[in-house]
Amino acid sequence: MTLFDLAKKNIQGNFSNYLVYFVSMVFSIIIYFTFVSLQYNEKIQQSILLSNTMNFLFMASSLLLLLFVAVFILYSNSFFTRNRKREVGLYSLLGLKKKTIGKMLFYENFLMGMLALVVGIIFGTLLSKLFTMILVKLMGSSAEIEFGISIEAIGQTILVFLIIIIITSIQGYRLIYRFKLIELFHAAKKGELTPKVSIGSTVLGLLLLIVSYWLILRSFPEELTEGYILANYGIALVSMVIGTHLFFSSVVISLLKLYKRNKARYYKGTNLIGTSQLLHRIQGNARTFTMIALLSAVTISLFGAAYSGYYGNEKNSFEMVPFSYSHQSKGDEFDDQIESLIQADKEHPITAQVELPIVEVEGQLTFTFSYEVTAMKLVPVKAYNEVVKALQTGKVLSLSEDEAIAIKPRLTEYNSSLFKGEQLHLSDEMHELTFVDMLEGSVLPFDYPDFYIIVSDEFFTEIANDIKPKLYKVYEVEGEKSTAVTSEKINQLVGKEDFQVYPSFYTEYKEGKEGNALTLFIFGFLGLVFLAATGSIIYFKQLTEANETKTSYEILRKIGVNKRAVRNTIQMQTLFVFGLPLTVGIVHSSVILNFISNFISDLIGANVIVPIVTAMAAFIVIYIGYYILTVHTYNKIANK
Amino acid sequence: MKQIVEARKIKKTYGARGNLFTALDEIDLTVQEGEFVGIMGPSGAGKSTLLNVLATIDEPTSGEITIDGFTILNMNEEQLSNFRRDKLGFIFQDYNLLDTLTVKENILLPLALAKIDVIKLEERVEAVAEKFGITAILDKYPYQISGGQKQRTAASRAIVTKPSLLLADEPTGALDSKSATDLLESLKELSEQEQATILMVTHDAYAASYCGRVIFIKDGKLFTELVKGKSSRKEFFQKVLDVLSALGGGTNDII
Repeated sequence: MTLFDLAKKNIQGNFSNYLVYFVSMVFSIIIYFTFVSLQYNEKIQQSILLSNTMNFLFMASSLLLLLFVAVFILYSNSFFTRNRKREVGLYSLLGLKKKTIGKMLFYENFLMGMLALVVGIIFGTLLSKLFTMILVKLMGSSAEIEFGISIEAIGQTILVFLIIIIITSIQGYRLIYRFKLIELFHAAKKGELTPKVSIGSTVLGLLLLIVSYWLILRSFPEELTEGYILANYGIALVSMVIGTHLFFSSVVISLLKLYKRNKARYYKGTNLIGTSQLLHRIQGNARTFTMIALLSAVTISLFGAAYSGYYGNEKNSFEMVPFSYSHQSKGDEFDDQIESLIQADKEHPITAQVELPIVEVEGQLTFTFSYEVTAMKLVPVKAYNEVVKALQTGKVLSLSEDEAIAIKPRLTEYNSSLFKGEQLHLSDEMHELTFVDMLEGSVLPFDYPDFYIIVSDEFFTEIANDIKPKLYKVYEVEGEKSTAVTSEKINQLVGKEDFQVYPSFYTEYKEGKEGNALTLFIFGFLGLVFLAATGSIIYFKQLTEANETKTSYEILRKIGVNKRAVRNTIQMQTLFVFGLPLTVGIVHSSVILNFISNFISDLIGANVIVPIVTAMAAFIVIYIGYYILTVHTYNKIANK
Repeated sequence: MKQIVEARKIKKTYGARGNLFTALDEIDLTVQEGEFVGIMGPSGAGKSTLLNVLATIDEPTSGEITIDGFTILNMNEEQLSNFRRDKLGFIFQDYNLLDTLTVKENILLPLALAKIDVIKLEERVEAVAEKFGITAILDKYPYQISGGQKQRTAASRAIVTKPSLLLADEPTGALDSKSATDLLESLKELSEQEQATILMVTHDAYAASYCGRVIFIKDGKLFTELVKGKSSRKEFFQKVLDVLSALGGGTNDII
């Protein structure tokens, strides 16, 4: 029999083992290739060129992905070789030269890797088309993206994986040299001792977690310095990582031991078996659990945050640019030109059209107000009411002569109690206004300073005698989310002087959507990869365990435990193994998201609960899928 | 006297048409309460198959088996599991202890599975452990104790539920002679003093000499049967050896 025959026989005999390893290699390659080909996609390249953050995001993501994929392949490789140590030992015992065995393992791994590379790239090409479509859909772009095979992407993938495959192949070659023969035979037999834990590390673990939560959740100090951020969140991060590890290596063990103390419960049915097995394995799994919990926390947080941004984009755009089109009046000719442009767009007929006179004044407030007050913008209540009707938001107001209502400046956090009953003395020293309320919802696109005050029509007419009002014209059209062509023309005509944001809703909305979609997509993609990989790692671990404990379950069956009870213990243990890191991950991410949402809900004004809960639910659902698969396979191995 | 095992015409064949192998060929077997019965025979004679069939782990192709008044062949999976738990005790050559449980937990496992009250359960474990002399190692794990201690743990587990029938498959196979003698003495005591019914498959004539009766099987059929009666253990041992040489199992089997 030649070496090649032997290698071939190996693969045939151990097919399922090889398959698992092969599939995880293919999986890694597909993921990496898909991501890289997206990176080289023209449309995305444009976005990358446009923004530095996007560039950084893509670079960081692809580096992270690379690291992750490498670790994942090395992990599955070690899982694979561990199952084969005995076989390798046997060859050596039968007198095959070490060098020959090494060569055989090298070729085997190398050929498998090459095959995986080809398969991965083929599937990756198909998959990248699918992902491009998802991305385009998310961005809301109507343009067809060319579907081409990216040579650069293929080149980069081949280069990266060639290196990884060669490393794992060398590992395979060295396997026979690294271990003594006796060690190869006892690979899976190492007796696992019951873990010992000290009270100290248990308490420390809990303490560190509490400290990290407290550091993350506490409110900002008066002055937010870079040093504070680094120190505070640096310490929080480190204590969270160490705390999580101690949680799995000590706290959980202490809890299980505590559970064991209650004999009446512990000595009931199969509790005994499940608990003792978990206890025996948890210390060996602590590092994996820690990694998975932290990874889930990061993924859920990032995805949750990105989704919040995407989810809140429409609301945010509407807040920044309330009308479909807005511009400052610049003479009849100019105004008519704009109006006829908008009228010419028959697909988007005008539903409302308002003229807004605005007077900018200076004045003193009778209370401390940290906002810029050199250019307060007065709006007559009549015009404001027309806006309310046109946009169908808010309610119609009426004001007596000296009354005024403030509109909350955008991107700030004031509330109405600050204004109620307070007064505004205008700088001409003749006029006084009394605030009766503050409300949200602006009338024009954002332009700093963004402080609008609604005044009575009488008062406005009076003040307009002294200061000439600026006239703004705003239009609301049907289907404002698809006015690409007209918006482009209006933007060009109006230019950038009138407002700090775009004069048309569509452009603001579209740009926000594209940016957010890309972020969401990257985080979603990475999240999916982490999720699949962590799920697979637990799956592998459980299957290894299933093979190791097969005999235990056989014993149990012989002494009269029925299949259902065995299945129950398997379910309980698997639930524990999947549920524990996920729960820790979700709790961590809730804390982190609570912190992040303080920023983003101000920034985007969106309700972050829905997207965050969606992100968590998606995570849980995929994990449940893995759980069911694992229980099924475990049961098939151990409970025949 | 009560009949614990009654097996009629048990047949077990393996393989498909044209390539049939008969492991058990219409074997009849009756065991009374309190008997200590040995089953011997050359390798491949069908000893273990017989034991597995009686243990409800394997199903015979045809025949009838009644254990402690229950006809086991019509039972479904769950009934069989409960039956094994409540009526049978097992001792195996390779101990079959769970590595993740302490000696004590291994012994009380069948009681825990039967959801026995904790206080009663602890009492039973104490009593059984004392009988086999393993009280001192109750909190140790299987990998911390010797083979003899492991087998005594397994035996304790097997009798802790006071089973109607104790089945032992080569229990002394992996033990040194001192440990083997200790275990066999304990089993013999169990059958004499507590009327425990024991069925033991063995290769070892010395182990068989502790039985009250020894059944010999060859090629799936009953070959002969020896009853110890009033003879001493030494005489009985000699008789067993004689039958074995007649059986032609080869000298390897006689040690």
